[in-house]
Amino acid sequence: MKKLVSIAMAALLVAVAGCSGGGQSSAPAGTTGSAASGEKVTLTYALWDKNQMPAMEEMAKKFNEKNPNVDIKIELTPNKQYWTKMEAAATGGTLPDIFWINGPRIIKYADNDMLLPITDQIKADGIDLNNYPKALVDLYTYDGQNYALPKDFDTIGLWYNKKLFDDAKVPYPDETWDWNKLKEVAKQLTDEKKGVWGIAAPPYGQDGFYNTIFQNGGYIISEDKKTSGYDKPETIEGLKFWTDLINEKASPTAAQLSETEATQLFESGKIAMMYNGSWMASAFHKNEYTKDKVDVTYLPKGKENTSVIHGLGNVISANTKHPKEAWEFVKFLGSKEGAEILAKSGAAIPAFNGTQDTWVQSMPNFNLKIFIDQAAVAKPYPISKDTAKWAKLETELMTKAWAGQMSVEDASKELAQKMNEMLSQE
Amino acid sequence: MSVYTSRNKIGKKLLIHLLLIAGALVMIAPFVWMVVTSLKSLGESTQVPPVILPTKYQWENYTHIFEMLPFLDFYWNTVITTVAKVVGQVFLCSLAAYAFARIEFPGRNALFILFLTVLMVPGQVFLLPQFMIMKELGWLNTLTALIVPGLFSAFGTFLLRQFFMSLPKELEEAAKLDGCNHFQIYWRIMLPLAKPGLIALAIFVALWSWNDLMWPLIVNSTPDKMPLSAGLAYLTGEHTNLTNYPILMAGSVLAIWPMIIVFIFLQKHFVEGITLTGSK
Repeated sequence: MKKLVSIAMAALLVAVAGCSGGGQSSAPAGTTGSAASGEKVTLTYALWDKNQMPAMEEMAKKFNEKNPNVDIKIELTPNKQYWTKMEAAATGGTLPDIFWINGPRIIKYADNDMLLPITDQIKADGIDLNNYPKALVDLYTYDGQNYALPKDFDTIGLWYNKKLFDDAKVPYPDETWDWNKLKEVAKQLTDEKKGVWGIAAPPYGQDGFYNTIFQNGGYIISEDKKTSGYDKPETIEGLKFWTDLINEKASPTAAQLSETEATQLFESGKIAMMYNGSWMASAFHKNEYTKDKVDVTYLPKGKENTSVIHGLGNVISANTKHPKEAWEFVKFLGSKEGAEILAKSGAAIPAFNGTQDTWVQSMPNFNLKIFIDQAAVAKPYPISKDTAKWAKLETELMTKAWAGQMSVEDASKELAQKMNEMLSQE
Repeated sequence: MSVYTSRNKIGKKLLIHLLLIAGALVMIAPFVWMVVTSLKSLGESTQVPPVILPTKYQWENYTHIFEMLPFLDFYWNTVITTVAKVVGQVFLCSLAAYAFARIEFPGRNALFILFLTVLMVPGQVFLLPQFMIMKELGWLNTLTALIVPGLFSAFGTFLLRQFFMSLPKELEEAAKLDGCNHFQIYWRIMLPLAKPGLIALAIFVALWSWNDLMWPLIVNSTPDKMPLSAGLAYLTGEHTNLTNYPILMAGSVLAIWPMIIVFIFLQKHFVEGITLTGSK
């Protein structure tokens, strides 16, 4: 029986190997050059956000008007399954010609030669990278090569419930606030009997402790991606900012926050302030409970005036058969004209500097300008080659620290030690 | 004395019914919540403590869905794949099962064990190889890719083989004496006797096919080639807080009602199927 099983497995493996071999030979890696002019070319463009589909379709249409021989076929995959699909496609040599990528994945795909470097194209066509926030250009530069033109970005702001401030006769938060002021007001607005808290302190990275770590002069990962910053006192202090808020009862406990999402509590008027992303603007705008009751302002100041920024990029697959047309499309997506189409839709903040005003004005009831202002001084989202690996551990340990199962120092130092081991193996 | 026992009996019955009613309420609550949420506004759907009934019924949630996504395509694709898979599996699996159960041929047991290994490997392992096969055949982003790999299954063959094995050999011998060949025995004798098994398999295949999400998303890439399950996945937001729950619930209601109707009509067989296979 055992023998038979192993024979069967071997047969299966041979069959698989045979398939993948055939796959490679039938799809030569991007050497075929571009199609002769006039020949019809269809490019596939993969993305995951249904809300941005209308804007993307309009961009594809505009591009097609200018380049009648190039058709763009948009492929939509839900966010949760997008990367599973991409991995299957990468193995099978069927990656779409152009696709969305995010920070945590860029090095992995670039390092495995799945992406077409566009450094030469950028130089040849005189694209000015100063048109995009520097942190985003850096995010998509690996080994001295550019791989993506930035598509959009999100930054974090201090969202607050105007009604709770009015009721307590406390002035709204503004750009003068620092960490101490935030703590003081958060405590003042907490009313345990009514079940109202001044702030929510969930154990989140991008919309939470990454910002306070950066503001405190700490870091998550060194610039050479070799060492973790979690054992630095500045980093630990940036984490403690949040656990202190819980300990001082200015925020619901970690257990309460795992039961009900902080955002949901905020939308229900139970939380006066919270750190949340620019991506929430459209949701708050659509929600009749928050539409006129909430607003947003700059994050309270720490030692440094900074915060975290992340954004998506448009990349070209290394085995595209039409690298020239694909680059033309990526160039168009990253152009001012393309950015303005995205801005008008309100679905995301375009990365092209100067086009963001349209987005800011698309929801005039919120002070969205702060998201643009903060982008200029923000630091890039921390990544390495295998970001997902240590990010998972980060979530585990920080959840424990937030719940009081271990001290913040212990959790942070353990994370640093294990993260350093992981990074040395990358 | 007799009055006492009958009272006792009534009390027992009452207790049983109360328990059953409580159980039924627990089972049905998620469905009710789904329907109620599908008629709420976005704000009402995220309130804490929850809003039980919407102040104004938002029937337009249901029309929004059709504007946002090609839901009719999703229906069509799901129905076609499900029907094809059910017919394919019932026919092909029963043929193979008959051979394994009733025909002596060299290497039969070895081949059957090979079959069983397929059942012992988790489905994710096949995902990539099957994707490669679809790619080589040029079937990516077609309905064919949704249907063909599901036309046959090791599970179905195994289930029906066990079923055929339990039927008495005398029937077959009698048919042989009357001059039936193997196909006639299979078609005229075995299939009618195996009806409960066939129905159980058909129900399982229909359920799996209706709910299958990963495979369509891997092999197909444009919305017009997707089934309902993928359509619902499109409605979940990039961040959980961005999901529009009323719309998602409206989509869910639209996606599951055919299965609920099938369940109501085939209830008896569902239960039989579970006792028959010991799985659900």
